[in-house]
Amino acid sequence: MNETDIHSKLAGAVVSGVGALDESAKDPFVVVDPGSLVPAVTFLKNDADCRMEMLNCVTAVEREDCIEVVYHLSSVTHRHSLTLKTRVERPAGGTHESWIPEVPSVAALYASADWHEREQWDLLGVRFTDHPDHRRILLPEEWIGHPLRKDYVYPHEHGGMPLDLDAVPLYERDEATPSEPAAPRPSGTPLVQPPNPNSDRPDAGGVAPADSDGDLRSIKPGSNDGGGH
Amino acid sequence: MGVLNNSLPDIGPVRAVDSAIGWGRKSSIWPMTFGIACCAIEMMAVYAATFDLDRFGAGVPRATPRQSDLIIVPGTVNAKMAVRVKRLYDQMSEPRYVIAMGACVCGGGPYVKWGYNTVKGVHKIIPVDIFVPGCPPRPEALMDGILKLREKVGRNQVFARQAQTAADMDGRYAAAK
Ligand code: SF4
Repeated sequence: MNETDIHSKLAGAVVSGVGALDESAKDPFVVVDPGSLVPAVTFLKNDADCRMEMLNCVTAVEREDCIEVVYHLSSVTHRHSLTLKTRVERPAGGTHESWIPEVPSVAALYASADWHEREQWDLLGVRFTDHPDHRRILLPEEWIGHPLRKDYVYPHEHGGMPLDLDAVPLYERDEATPSEPAAPRPSGTPLVQPPNPNSDRPDAGGVAPADSDGDLRSIKPGSNDGGGH
Repeated sequence: MGVLNNSLPDIGPVRAVDSAIGWGRKSSIWPMTFGIACCAIEMMAVYAATFDLDRFGAGVPRATPRQSDLIIVPGTVNAKMAVRVKRLYDQMSEPRYVIAMGACVCGGGPYVKWGYNTVKGVHKIIPVDIFVPGCPPRPEALMDGILKLREKVGRNQVFARQAQTAADMDGRYAAAK
């Protein structure tokens, strides 16, 4: 079957929340409501004509107005595949501190989803409800923030290990006068990457543009003031 | 050798003893079995038959830091790994040497700008003797680094007082060659 047939079967079987097939992309995709995700994936996996045995990957994309989780499903039996997407709208002022989008987990259906979803949680801060083992997978457990979000602020050090390019080496520091640990970014600071003198990349941070419409890097933190950085 | 360290005058016989010790040390450098990222693959090639680091007496990687003289840090050191690298270095006994292998370890490499959890050079956490740049360095480059390290180890002063002037150092370098 091609994507159109799979989509029409899917739309017929899952009552609501299955969007139209977008064929403008090279890989045609279907946008599904988060609420209908598990029924849709269950159908694609179990239906005799679809038989999507394999979940190739789970990824996520941060967009200006939403976070999008992307599922690549394919069938070894029938040699066809389909891309599913699900979107969670960004609330006004939603930043990586104040807004953790929630998407149902498909780890009960596909074992491969387990680690992939943990990776999305680790790097983009998407919470997968009912995930069996919802921990970070790559970064240390005590890491703060989700680094692939656009408004992430880079830490100066972690666990006593300097991460700055111009950090003073540990063995050259004056033991007698221990340096103050880098202060956490105060709540309410605009979430902007600090300018980097070593880079002339245009989007390397700098001053936030005056009008904040649609520019993620100028988003102010939401109303939550729990904890700094 | 404790109390005698660097306390004897820098004269011929003392130098001779020092250079004998240095020759022994440099001819049996024991690296630690340690690899982090892609650079470690090139390091393994150096140990293996084609390049055969054992020709220079450094081909027996030890399985514990307590037996090794040299730690080659081959690969990206991230925040999680940096703690371990530092602990391994602290467990090695003196004299100990460090070779930083690859662009990542020499100063951040590809992660210098956007590496949110990369230590921008292992010299931020442990003192480095030899930097071997490249991404990854060719096996020949690492071997060159080890030969440079051999020179450095060979002219180590164990008993003789540390050289005070540049001319003094030049004399020792010439003697060590
Ligand atoms: S320097 Fe290059 S080859 Fe070596 S660890 Fe870094 S990225 Fe890999």
